[in-house]
Amino acid sequence: MTLEEILAVRPSPGLPRGYRFPPFERTILPSGMQVLTVHVPGRPLVSANLIVRQGASDEPAQFGGATVLAARAMTEGTQRYPGLELIEASERLGATLHAEASWDAFAGSVDVVAPRLRAALELLAELVLRPTFPEADVARLRDERLNDLMQARAEPRRRVEQAFASALYTSDSPYSRPAAGNEETVPRLERSQLADIHGSLLAPRRAALIVGGDLSGLDIPRMAAEVFGSLGAAADGPVDGAVHAPRAQSAVDRTTVRLYDRPGSVQSEVRIGHPGLARSVPDFHAVQVMTSILGGLFNSRLQMNLREEKGYTYGVHAGFDMRRGPGPFAVRTAVQTAATAPAIAESLAELRRMRDTRVTEAELTIARDYMVGVFPLRFETPGAVVAALGGLFVHDLPDDELARYRPLVEAVTAEDVQAAAQQHIDPDRVAIVIVGDAAAIAADLDAAGFGELEIVREEIPGDGDGGESEEAE
Amino acid sequence: MTAPTVEFTDERLPNGLRLIIDEDHLAPVVAVCIWYNVGSKHEVEGKTGFAHLFEHVMFQGSRHVAKTEHMALVQAAGGTMNGTTWLDRTNYYETVPSHQLELALWLEADRMATLLDALNQANLDNQRDVVKNEKRSSYDNRPYGQWLHKLQEHVFPAGHPYHHPTIGSMEDLDAASLEDVAAFFRTYYAPNNAVLAIAGDVDPAQARGWVERYFGAIPANPAIPPLGDMSLPATIGAEIREVVEDRVPLARHYFAFRAPHFGDRRSDALEVGAQILAGGKGSRLYRRLVREDRIAQDVAFFSLGLIGGASMAAGQATVRPGVDPDIVERAFEEELARLGKELVTDDELARARALIETFELEALQRVDERADRLAMYATLLDDPDMINRQLDRYLAVTAADIRAVSAEFLIPENRVVLTYLPAAEIAGQETAA
Repeated sequence: MTLEEILAVRPSPGLPRGYRFPPFERTILPSGMQVLTVHVPGRPLVSANLIVRQGASDEPAQFGGATVLAARAMTEGTQRYPGLELIEASERLGATLHAEASWDAFAGSVDVVAPRLRAALELLAELVLRPTFPEADVARLRDERLNDLMQARAEPRRRVEQAFASALYTSDSPYSRPAAGNEETVPRLERSQLADIHGSLLAPRRAALIVGGDLSGLDIPRMAAEVFGSLGAAADGPVDGAVHAPRAQSAVDRTTVRLYDRPGSVQSEVRIGHPGLARSVPDFHAVQVMTSILGGLFNSRLQMNLREEKGYTYGVHAGFDMRRGPGPFAVRTAVQTAATAPAIAESLAELRRMRDTRVTEAELTIARDYMVGVFPLRFETPGAVVAALGGLFVHDLPDDELARYRPLVEAVTAEDVQAAAQQHIDPDRVAIVIVGDAAAIAADLDAAGFGELEIVREEIPGDGDGGESEEAE
Repeated sequence: MTAPTVEFTDERLPNGLRLIIDEDHLAPVVAVCIWYNVGSKHEVEGKTGFAHLFEHVMFQGSRHVAKTEHMALVQAAGGTMNGTTWLDRTNYYETVPSHQLELALWLEADRMATLLDALNQANLDNQRDVVKNEKRSSYDNRPYGQWLHKLQEHVFPAGHPYHHPTIGSMEDLDAASLEDVAAFFRTYYAPNNAVLAIAGDVDPAQARGWVERYFGAIPANPAIPPLGDMSLPATIGAEIREVVEDRVPLARHYFAFRAPHFGDRRSDALEVGAQILAGGKGSRLYRRLVREDRIAQDVAFFSLGLIGGASMAAGQATVRPGVDPDIVERAFEEELARLGKELVTDDELARARALIETFELEALQRVDERADRLAMYATLLDDPDMINRQLDRYLAVTAADIRAVSAEFLIPENRVVLTYLPAAEIAGQETAA
């Protein structure tokens, strides 16, 4: 055969090798803390995550950012390992010790080779149970966060995210600000707020230790009981495992356009959306298929339109950030300045098309096949498996949620996709937030008539222009 | 604890295509990675950004694959894919469920054999716009966005192939013609200029059969032009300084040094030294500048791993508000100088080694990373077995090695200092003067 004849025939796939999400075992310690273990043979690097179902959305509003800052400060020293001794001890094990907090949860984690797991877990327990929060280090980390906020204000892609969140939610909703706090709340954070947050974290019924890797010969539940046995014993935090969704009141009652002026910008950062969905949404799988087609796949409708046909952008994405409460639904892109209004018009048209007509069988097949097929790729390493189990625990999902993911995705129909779009996307009531050059695009935006246009001229740190806000019609 | 050995085969097809197969059945996943020995260093004046623009064209279809169908087919197969361009090379990769391996090989073969059949002005114009938007969002519309380009300009003299940025200039992108694209393809996208690595859940005999079937008849290009001499003096010779006034809220210093090329033993010592200098919270620069003196917001030190003539080691420190940038520069430079004078402690070296060992182990867990590294070592060093020796080389680095390489390269005469200052502060100073 000639090369032409050979290449003219598309290969067909072989027989898929069976795959199932690695089974995990659950043990509940006397304290009420859960231990999830997942044995992944042949993976000597073990991941361990200590997760507590308590995050930034649970903290007092005036101390926004306290949980994230507390997590950051937990590696700054413990009773037994003051200052950098904790980090140094973990480095000697070749272990990467880390703590962080999101809207929904706190997570302390360590990755280490199996023979050193016990020693690494002891350091993780030190970090979680006995941080000292030295005043000086708390002050330094707080200042670093304030400096970071200054940087975020100057960087268009970060500025637009913060502006978008505050356009979506009322100011008394935690999601209206960054999880790590804003210029108003962060200066209030002292050692005492962090210590309070830490005390409330030590509630064993909200905590799980999740360990994955080649665990041959390791008794993880016993190790966990020995190392974390005292979790919560000395704390007066909440004792039940229940968590509550935060207030997430929509501030979007009509379509509005808010433009943050950056004279001379070569691109516009654009966000379009409204408050979206909680992770507990019943039609989760249909929503995922729908957003893959809209703005998730490489060849999503938005990407084909804005990138491959029009060349307006390097990339465009759309999706729901599902949290314990309804996080944002957003279309996110950066477009060349002159294309700002047309790109928004095309994006809104794609949102409407998603609701008005059914997706084609071809679109549906690609999306479903991708989500089903890529599933084993996503969980190649113990770290990824542990992270997925962490998601199960945080959102209190059924144990078989991951095992039944693929059949549930395969069952999604074109009708389900359209219903999900109609139910969860409202193109007639969106916040459109732009960081770009008002002199170049304001007239276009006004003429396009998407909604009321507000131009914000603010001081940009490092640039030194005065700030003001004006309404344009 | 040592990382498990990566077992692989290494052979060449008659047309020159180098094929590396690493069989590992842990997960039902296989990675295909193809490295073409062409990067922005092959570009000539007036045609910068071309290698990267071409990478985009590679996703615009070939004789049997329509525009953007490459992505659709890979994603429908449950796979992921992309391509990247760098100074030394261009690579393309697919990670797929193992029963879809043949599809990935066919897609790569079809575009290597027949790309020009699908090339047209509309696709080129579209991807030119996309790339210009990539340049805007990755570099032009970002605070400090031009730092790497500026460091390249200073570390590598005008006319050197590493002098210009991979993304290119807007003018050169505008000037790229269909004929340029076709000529570039005919010159560099030949099997004898490529390494194909396959890692993961694969039957090697079957995979070899598919590779022979799809790639075997693609003709070699016997006339790939050799790259000119890229050799340079080992060091820059005199300090170079540049101050940039930008819309940045915090001042930031970037530091760069000409450094031994990737694969040179001294680059291993520099890598371990970088871990001790700036790898995490236990490192010297973090400890002093961020934690103790509280004069910097963040610090970093790393090397670029370039292969031709010389490479670049670079660092950065963001200045805290209200702190004199000169103080931060001095502290940063003192720590680098100290590395060239005193031996690092046994404990520092032990911690760095333990962390590097974990990082290597972590990376080699994934089939995509293994395929990428096998292709990288084969393309850049003609030595794919470096995947099994690189860790031992890092672990063999001594305190004296680190002192020696630092004393040779991390010195003022070999230094570029690029300082970003907030425009507002400069304006304020001028008003006050």
